[in-house]
Amino acid sequence: MRAFELVEPATLREAAASLGADDSTIRPIAGGTAIVLMMKAGVFRPERLVSLRRIERRHAAIERTAEGGLHIGAMATLTALEHSADIRAAAPVIARMLRNHSNVRVRNVATVGGNLAHADPNMDMPPVLIALGARVTTISSDGERSIAVEDLPAGFYQTVLKPNELIAALEIPAQHARRSAYLKCTTRAAHDWPTLGIAVSLGDNDARIVISAATERPMRLTAAENEFRDPRKAAEAAADTVKIMPDARGSIPYKRQLVRVYVERALRAAMEAAS
Amino acid sequence: MNKIMRHGQVGRSAPRLEAREKATGRAEYVHNLRLPGMLYGKIFRSTIPHGRIRSIDVSAAAAHPGVYRVITAADVAKVVPNPYYGPAFHDQPILAIDKVHHVGEPVAVVLATDPHVAEEAAALIVAQYDELPAVYDEVEAMTSKAVVHDVLKPAGTFPDLKHLQGKTDTNVALDFHLRRGDVAKAFAEADHVFEHTFRTKAVLHLPLEPFVSVAETTGSGLTIHTASQSPSFVRIEIARLLGWPENRVRVKVPYLGGGFGAKLYIKLEALVAALALIVNRPVKIALTMEEQFFTLTKHASTFRIKSAVSKDGKITGRECEVWWNGGAYADIGPRITQKSGFTAPGPYDIDNVTIDSYSLYTNLTPAGALRGFGIPQLVWAYESHADMIARALKLDPLAFRRKNILREGNAQATGTIMRDAAIEAVLEQVSARMDWEKPFARSSGSVKRGRGIAIGFKASISPTTSVAIVNVAADGSATLYCSTVDMGQGSDTANAQIVAEVLSIEAEAVRIVHPDTDVTPYDMATLGSRSLYHMGNAVRLAAQDAKAKLADLAREVGVPEGSNIPIAELFVKKYKMQAGNIIGTASYIPSYVPPEAETGQTPNATPFWMVGGAGAEVEVDTETGHVRVTRLVNVGDVGTLINPRIVATQLSGAAVMQYGFTMQEQIETDGGQITNASFADYKIPSILDIPPMESEAVDAEQHDGPFGAKGVGESGTFAVSPAIANAIDDAVGVRISELPITPEAVYRAIRARNGDPLEDA
Repeated sequence: MRAFELVEPATLREAAASLGADDSTIRPIAGGTAIVLMMKAGVFRPERLVSLRRIERRHAAIERTAEGGLHIGAMATLTALEHSADIRAAAPVIARMLRNHSNVRVRNVATVGGNLAHADPNMDMPPVLIALGARVTTISSDGERSIAVEDLPAGFYQTVLKPNELIAALEIPAQHARRSAYLKCTTRAAHDWPTLGIAVSLGDNDARIVISAATERPMRLTAAENEFRDPRKAAEAAADTVKIMPDARGSIPYKRQLVRVYVERALRAAMEAAS
Repeated sequence: MNKIMRHGQVGRSAPRLEAREKATGRAEYVHNLRLPGMLYGKIFRSTIPHGRIRSIDVSAAAAHPGVYRVITAADVAKVVPNPYYGPAFHDQPILAIDKVHHVGEPVAVVLATDPHVAEEAAALIVAQYDELPAVYDEVEAMTSKAVVHDVLKPAGTFPDLKHLQGKTDTNVALDFHLRRGDVAKAFAEADHVFEHTFRTKAVLHLPLEPFVSVAETTGSGLTIHTASQSPSFVRIEIARLLGWPENRVRVKVPYLGGGFGAKLYIKLEALVAALALIVNRPVKIALTMEEQFFTLTKHASTFRIKSAVSKDGKITGRECEVWWNGGAYADIGPRITQKSGFTAPGPYDIDNVTIDSYSLYTNLTPAGALRGFGIPQLVWAYESHADMIARALKLDPLAFRRKNILREGNAQATGTIMRDAAIEAVLEQVSARMDWEKPFARSSGSVKRGRGIAIGFKASISPTTSVAIVNVAADGSATLYCSTVDMGQGSDTANAQIVAEVLSIEAEAVRIVHPDTDVTPYDMATLGSRSLYHMGNAVRLAAQDAKAKLADLAREVGVPEGSNIPIAELFVKKYKMQAGNIIGTASYIPSYVPPEAETGQTPNATPFWMVGGAGAEVEVDTETGHVRVTRLVNVGDVGTLINPRIVATQLSGAAVMQYGFTMQEQIETDGGQITNASFADYKIPSILDIPPMESEAVDAEQHDGPFGAKGVGESGTFAVSPAIANAIDDAVGVRISELPITPEAVYRAIRARNGDPLEDA
């Protein structure tokens, strides 16, 4: 690791302005749980880090909206989400998922905005948020915009965010009677990054079924969604259609089998979950 | 046991002496050491598995701002003309000379006052190589055209390696053979013959304190501060490399943050010594976690085992062929090949045995000792094989073992008569804890339950020496000087309890002086569960020597025998003030008879035997192959217990480590490149992975151990892997023959058994 410049702007707007429009050696840093590892491994050598730790406190707030949804500041830590009464009331699947996400030391500093912006395909948060129909609000010198979490990842560790664009907040719509579940499968150790994650959100007449970790990026399993009333059929449809990435956690045929098993189990779990 | 616990110091769970120091961050580690003027070295490593070095361009690195100097083998040669080291072979150069033999081999070092500058600059070195054919598999290495070393260079310390001197065109760094009885006849007459092959992958020690060493030149020579398990060996080997007398090299070792066999012999010590002599400044090299993957591994292995069995289940003959993947440098691999090799038939009473055990060079990271010295690889094979035989003959696995185990007074494969080896007691205690003879609740549905047992044994290294000094000061306080390294195993506490028992004082009042070769006497090394027996005996004898000298002093000053006059007053009576010392000393070396070269036979193969048994209950998800170990029972024969709590944690700690090697860990390679060199992708067990465990020792006594004790550090590793594999077979009827047991391997085996194999990757 070599010397670099660290700036600590006081506002999110200043922070966005401190980022270069086209300079990959300038990056924002929130919890730092991913970027510091990349720096230690030598795969990222920054010229400047824009720390978000001193920006306005309101960007870490978790609030219930009037409609019964959630507004979550991007700087809210994963631990704050895990223990938030509002989250437990409005989207309990998030709190349940976080208990088995990474470890408490990471959750204490990692932020929800950083989690999404990092676009690591082996993450538990994005598939759950996609299943819940969540959107992010971003800020940049060009102003604000709203992006569905589903559309945020552009590929392996890539998002549609511009280099000087920061996630400001996360909006989760009211779930009403929808029931949700998330199942994660690890194959090398309990605390490993998932080999597969399956998130399900079940309405009366539809389901959103989202896969992560085994694919290049988190994505909807539309073929399975069309069969959601029959978990076994949905599982077969998912296994037949999904494009799987092999890695040290499992081969393509094995992960395809895991998809088959976990889509069915996740659908059944959602059916049994309280709304 | 009461007869030996006269003063209650031995046999009590004394809290670890160092616990407070460690918990409050006061314990000394080399990692924290900074010396005035010290330079940090960063190693530039080979990126190819095998090749001739065409050029090393260090110009950009040397010109990098803040760099003090860049060192290559050419510089090392000026201070160490013959810079090859190693405990069995002098095969490992301080920095690569002419050739590189594995990815990650040190080629050059950048020195700078800032470690980050050194790291940046090391990335600027450019080496060019002419690649050579490489070999990675231990069985292929027997016959491969790729030959790792041009000529073999045994160190000369081990007589069974001398015949390899100067050999060319071979990767065999030791071939050990044992012949007992008439195996051909046993197989010809056998009712049943079983033959299976088992494999293990290379895994890693990964102490949380990576390798770290500091060298400084002094008026008289060199001082090396190092996280080493073998300070005496470091001193002797550095002195040999430099052509100096031992007393010009001082080696100091504080606490270690784990060792597990990694920090033995020479690791960074020769390099920092050479660097300090070249630049005449203190030099420190501290490896990263990732660099541990390039330094030392546990042997990958292949074991072909074949048994002749009578129709009533008696094993009448056994052939063992074992290939050990030693990597690019021999390290202590040849000793593993022989020392562990001779136990390859397992703790069974078999009249007709052959063993052929081969240590192979390959173009991978060197392999060495790792908590068990090769034994877990062997037990994995022979205890999986045992269950496969029992299953085929429809015998209960426990009954099959009872019929065949080595009992006290039987001759082991070497011909040595078994003494103080509680094999039977361990087997019985495992089965009792497992309620083996009661019905076992199986399950319906997609999750199947099963259970398995296994038992393994190990011979201690021999013959080796330990020396201890007990110093009684004029106020009666006692200090122990010994070179055993406390790397977390609790040796300080155990040794203090032994001193305290002999001198009738509190263990907590005994001070331990940590290894410093200018101060503490010789000890072969802290390895192979040898310390409690060897050093424990030396410590006991040194304390007894001090006690005898105190009795002499009492007589001299006219105190009647049996008086309870405080020790301090004896000194005052003699010296008229608080002055003087009593120095008790002792050295201990057990007896031993080397095995015959052709047959491996010896009447005295080892000073003591270690025994470890395990029982596992598992749940197998037949839809995914996930295995959940719901219960793991570990039982060891460790002689009498000096400190019961430390014994229990040693057994459970060893079992956890082996659980990782069984279910999770493997070094993944692609063309000699390690692809998972980090904790992110090499997964050791976390608290969430560790199964519910019960760990305990059988009631036993090692008749010539200190107060009946013997080693405990490794026994918990022996039987874990096959116990789990046997339980999986019991649950779902599939046999896994290669470690680690991944969910995918289990799922594929289930599909194959069902006649519907999963397509290849």
